[in-house]
Amino acid sequence: MEQPSELTAAAPRPWDRPAVSVPVLVLMSVVGGQLPSFSAQANLYAVGTGGALIWLGLTNRVPRRPPPGRLGSGAVWWVVPVVVFGVFEGSTFVLGSTDDFPTFSRLADPLLEDGLVRSVVYFGWLSAFWGLVRR
Amino acid sequence: MSATRLLVIVGFLAAIGLVAVLEFASRRERSRIPSLGDVCAFVMQYEVGRVPVGRIGLFGFWWWVGWHFFAR
Repeated sequence: MEQPSELTAAAPRPWDRPAVSVPVLVLMSVVGGQLPSFSAQANLYAVGTGGALIWLGLTNRVPRRPPPGRLGSGAVWWVVPVVVFGVFEGSTFVLGSTDDFPTFSRLADPLLEDGLVRSVVYFGWLSAFWGLVRR
Repeated sequence: MSATRLLVIVGFLAAIGLVAVLEFASRRERSRIPSLGDVCAFVMQYEVGRVPVGRIGLFGFWWWVGWHFFAR
């Protein structure tokens, strides 16, 4: 059934409180952090959790925060880190992502082999995803 | 470690540091810089007809980021 598109946050539902959502995200992150890269389980888990969050975010089943009417002129500052990251990622990608010119993911992969680090980063990814769904 | 590798690492750390600085600056009182969340919310408002293109685009990008780092 189609949900109203202007559903905004009013009274938080019990499951929508940080006391519920944070432990759920932690549990999901711990599970995801144990799955090794290139495995079928890791693919299914990342695609499944992301797909479920996209479904929640597109079907208006989760209350959203009111959107900003317009952005201030200072919004242009956000272009700076995007350009800096893009220049380094683009140039290292073009140069073949070698040890001397590593892309961001080539630098991150060894760190993500550790289960704890992987779970912490997984938590960051899922938390940001949940934040986007609520917007 | 080669000089180019160090330069690349410093570059990526600078980009991440800039995000942290801007987010911090956005939370000051009467700041003209919007938070990253507000920028994302603004982008997600973009629609073509009834299709929420901004929302689909941002969700898709973030989904790909997770898959890229955790599944492959």
